[in-house]
Amino acid sequence: MNLFNLFSDIEKNDADADGRFNFTRRKMLKTTSMAVAGTTAFTALAMNKAFAADSSVTEVLNFALTLEYLEAEFYAKALASNLKDDSNFMSYYGLFEEIGKHEREHVDFLKTALGSAAVSKPEFDFTAKGMFPNPFAKENYPVYLTLSQAFEDTGVRAYKGQAANLMSNPDVLQAALQIHSVEARHAGTIRLLRGVTPFANEGNNDSSNGGAPAAVYKGENNIYQVDGVDLISLTKPKLLEQGGNPEMMAEKYVRESFDEPLTKADVLAIVAPFLK
Amino acid sequence: MEKMNSLTGKPVGPTVPAIPSVERRMFLRHLGLFTASTAAFLTACSKEAIVSPSTGAAARVAADGTVDLGSGDIGILNYAYALEQLEAAFYTTAVSETKGLSAMDRKALIEIREHEVAHRELFKAALGTAAIPDLEVDFSSIDWNSRNAVFDAANKFESTGVGAYNGAGKLLKTSAFLILAGKIVSVEARHAAYTAYMLYPGKKFDVAHELVNGNGLDVAYTPSQVLSGVQMYIKQKISGANLPS
Repeated sequence: MNLFNLFSDIEKNDADADGRFNFTRRKMLKTTSMAVAGTTAFTALAMNKAFAADSSVTEVLNFALTLEYLEAEFYAKALASNLKDDSNFMSYYGLFEEIGKHEREHVDFLKTALGSAAVSKPEFDFTAKGMFPNPFAKENYPVYLTLSQAFEDTGVRAYKGQAANLMSNPDVLQAALQIHSVEARHAGTIRLLRGVTPFANEGNNDSSNGGAPAAVYKGENNIYQVDGVDLISLTKPKLLEQGGNPEMMAEKYVRESFDEPLTKADVLAIVAPFLK
Repeated sequence: MEKMNSLTGKPVGPTVPAIPSVERRMFLRHLGLFTASTAAFLTACSKEAIVSPSTGAAARVAADGTVDLGSGDIGILNYAYALEQLEAAFYTTAVSETKGLSAMDRKALIEIREHEVAHRELFKAALGTAAIPDLEVDFSSIDWNSRNAVFDAANKFESTGVGAYNGAGKLLKTSAFLILAGKIVSVEARHAAYTAYMLYPGKKFDVAHELVNGNGLDVAYTPSQVLSGVQMYIKQKISGANLPS
């Protein structure tokens, strides 16, 4: 319920728009911390009890844990690396710290949930056996961002691809969805930092993905979501601006509107070069 | 959830015309015969629901105007459809009414608006006759003179959407709908990042540090939480009384 106090906050009349805005932000911090405290009905340990006997759920969560190990170590290394000599990296240090914290929390959460069934952390090679220069070198901030985007977008697609395998366990499914959207917030933000669109595309060139491995975006341009629905024809006449080629614009918006899943095999193929 | 759902799980009468053809469509598609024109034809010749009536009861409008979302998977899809209608309307108004938008601001609002329209149209087509009617919105409480207030409201709508989909996933019985919801929720999360970035570029607000809990988990809301939060923006009374819980 607390979230919606915020809605009314912005709507209160106040002559000082900026002052009100800041007030709303502070208020948001306050109310959401309360909201979190009030709704922690579910813990990783409780989840562990719930699915301990289900090997397919264990398998999905260990797959997720492996990805989270990769992401957590990536940010932990970056935050302690020579990237700190790069002023661009440092201007977003707080953001990278927050993203790294989320990934570490995901690792801890999944490890707790899996208990003794948890896989151990692999050794990582963030150059992917020489495919990329060292992303943690001072001069390689752009490489660091490229890999960050690739890992986050892969994470989004990986969780999405496993959701249906968790339907037998509502608590685990919800937790996975709650991690999934955090990865998507990360992906969108990193993409914006790089000056590319926050929306995933399978580009014919690198302009939308900026050098991230093509496999990360394979199949992302799917435009069929529900059989029997031609969404481009339905959307095209309703676009706000009909400039350019409306058919092409409608197609772009339709494909951007849905993030596509990846299979476990596709994800593991992307990740494999980063494993020692 | 104070309201219990008395209808969930019970077979409900066929308020939606029976549709035998989902399997056939999928079959055609697998054969590579499912072209855009086939799709257009199917869409044009039928307003019937693509979702099977066995997945819940259709929406209903009561004598007093209350819009009941329906039950089962249909109810959850109508819940999502209501939110997408609201979001699309919000951005349509934001683009035309907000004062002091830069070119980048406008581009962001239009991009997001078009995505919400695509989401809305998909649910509308998929639900067919089982869908809720068009919702009338009320944004009189939003200050369109403040660009910051508009992006802040947009950001809250997006995070509400994220929490709504995150909380609704486990209420769906049909895996195809869960997968569809998963495809949409991460786009809503990208929208949330985008709208946050328009206010605090490159800050931890962009990744919702104030919402993500100590386990690194995003928000997840029940339908009743979300509906009570957004009701003030919708003129018709929305009822989720028959939604699964």
